[in-house]
Amino acid sequence: MTHAPERITLEEWDVQYEKLHRAGMREPRYGGPLSRHVEDGDHRLGRLRYDNSAAALRLWNFLLTEEDRLHEARAAGNKIVGTMKDLGTVPVMAYCFDNVTAFYPDGAWWIPCVMEGSDGSLEVADSLGIDESFCPVRAMLGAFVTGAHFPIPDMLICSVGATCDDFSAIAQRLNGLGHPIFWWEIPHRRCPERDEAGVILPGGLTAPKSQVEFVESELERVKAALEELAGARLDDERLSAGIAQANRVRQYLAELRNLAFTAERCPLPALEMLIAEMLAIHFCSDRPETIAVLGELLEEVKVRANAGLGVLDAGAARIFWVNPVADLQVMNLLEDCGGRVCGTEYLFTHALDAIPQDVPPLEALARCALADPMAGSSIDRAERICADVRRFGAEAVLISRIPGASHCALEGQVISEVVAEQLDIPVLEIEVPPVTDSMSATLRTRLEALVETARCRRRTTQGIRRSG
Amino acid sequence: MICAGIDAGSRTIKVMLIDADSLEIVGKGLADQGVEQDKLATSLFRRVLKSNGATGKDVAAIVATGYGRNAVNMADTTITEITCHAVGVHHLVPEAHTVIDIGGQDSKLVRLDGAGKVRDFAMNDRCAAGTGRFLEVTARRLGVGLDALGRLAAGSRRPAAISSMCVVFAETEITGLLACGTGREDIVAGVQAAIAARIVGMAGRSVEPPIVFTGGVAMVSGMTTALQTALGQAVTVAPEPQMTGALGAAILASKRLREATA
Repeated sequence: MTHAPERITLEEWDVQYEKLHRAGMREPRYGGPLSRHVEDGDHRLGRLRYDNSAAALRLWNFLLTEEDRLHEARAAGNKIVGTMKDLGTVPVMAYCFDNVTAFYPDGAWWIPCVMEGSDGSLEVADSLGIDESFCPVRAMLGAFVTGAHFPIPDMLICSVGATCDDFSAIAQRLNGLGHPIFWWEIPHRRCPERDEAGVILPGGLTAPKSQVEFVESELERVKAALEELAGARLDDERLSAGIAQANRVRQYLAELRNLAFTAERCPLPALEMLIAEMLAIHFCSDRPETIAVLGELLEEVKVRANAGLGVLDAGAARIFWVNPVADLQVMNLLEDCGGRVCGTEYLFTHALDAIPQDVPPLEALARCALADPMAGSSIDRAERICADVRRFGAEAVLISRIPGASHCALEGQVISEVVAEQLDIPVLEIEVPPVTDSMSATLRTRLEALVETARCRRRTTQGIRRSG
Repeated sequence: MICAGIDAGSRTIKVMLIDADSLEIVGKGLADQGVEQDKLATSLFRRVLKSNGATGKDVAAIVATGYGRNAVNMADTTITEITCHAVGVHHLVPEAHTVIDIGGQDSKLVRLDGAGKVRDFAMNDRCAAGTGRFLEVTARRLGVGLDALGRLAAGSRRPAAISSMCVVFAETEITGLLACGTGREDIVAGVQAAIAARIVGMAGRSVEPPIVFTGGVAMVSGMTTALQTALGQAVTVAPEPQMTGALGAAILASKRLREATA
């Protein structure tokens, strides 16, 4: 740590960049000032506030250069695999091959936000019949059609079944446009019947052994397809080594989350934490570099937490955030309103839990895939949220709905009711479209009110404790 | 000394002056909102002070609330309307457990604990279909004033089913209903029932009584009945329902003053 931690603007980052350089900062080859990405069309960056550490700069640059890395991988002769919908299982397999680079096309849902709609990807999706009644992940369709972002993959793999209805429809449309997809099925997770053998999944969930076996057989098919593409075998030893590397990422993230969400003062802003967590599911197309980026970030956070330093006021209201936001600026807004993120559930908690290493590797991945929050009931998800709210000491829950996402219409109320019943803390639902500028005032009111409510209840609780 | 609350809402600005110690109301006023929000708020504030024989020097603390709260430069601080309505209602109706506030451009439901603190809240965030805007559009389309809506609704025998979730499309529906010969009284009753239904949807499964209704829409006759029917519970309109947010802001200003001088 070379500077007192704070949140700074993009303009301030230019000054900070020079300071860090003069102080001897060493950057990876994808390094450089953040503002250069605005010149590439990422206009939203100019409105965000960032952590001022060199580690955060590296994280941002790593994220914002992924398309370059994918094009370089293609030029180097690597096979490019798009792993869709599945969050965090197939990439673990794909990165076991030396000549395969996997990425997460669904991540294109942030393009309309980062480019403030200037890319036209949503309009392309509209013209293909996938309009705003679908989740903004439909931007992926536009990205495939324009080819302006990532290289068209050599292979597309997509999970289907108990996944997102919107995404299934969008992926089917993509398939129909001449992008063949290798489908694998994930069943709706259920509890074992009385006479069925059960298996413990990551996160403490259970599923019938037959379901785990079925998913394992599906992943066996995926593995065979990847082997054919790569022209190499993927044996258990190699897959186990890949799982161990994925678990290093997950271990770093577990430590990072624990520190960031429980430290007395918030050591890392919510936005950087969101990006760090997303690395768990796709490695940003470079697994070894993901480990290095997260390692540096973790060191920075450790130093800050140990020194009692943070980027926000000590009294910030502790908010648990449910679902990723289409507009990154809303993460800043919560902090501007006096809140801090203490716990998250971005629909991929199963990708943050360690993959079992004491069972055959494909079975381990099957267990992991079945633990996907979207593969189970909303009640399961709500229970996990409650457990994590308790663990991180959050004072309120914020559920950000994704407009058009069918699951959001159903699960918000279920989560609200379970949280209210088990924890009796305030829950707020907001809806966040890809660009929120016109509604920032109304969003601010809601977030400020949530922060006021959490703080007021904190004072009441402290008062009761004192008088007791 | 006086403490002031200014509620800069979407349709109107409200000013409430209270005695800092006794919390008794010493002055109040209301004006239409406009583009120059700060200027309008300042002008109203001065007018209310003057009409009560006070000057700016008599005012010890000012809290602004409402959508335009950040535009009120004279305020010492801002607090959201959720908290302010809760405080205002608790002051007027201490036993209240639920506040339903329907304003010009939004509606909210606030749950209170026994001490009047906000336990939880929900706000409509999709369109104006659950707000006063819906009633304004309806009144304009039917060629009547807002004050006539209640009388019309009371004469309804078969409220029209308004299916749209959007004010713009609902207006089209109203046009269609008129073309089909549906009576104005049935259309108004249908619109009021639709607004009430949206509030119930926002409330989820639990609405704890006593329920207090605030905001400008609480003054539109017929809305309380529509809410009671939809909720299946008694609903009480707060005294001067438009002023509750400003009153809460003034009380919070007084509280801040006491804390600062303690």
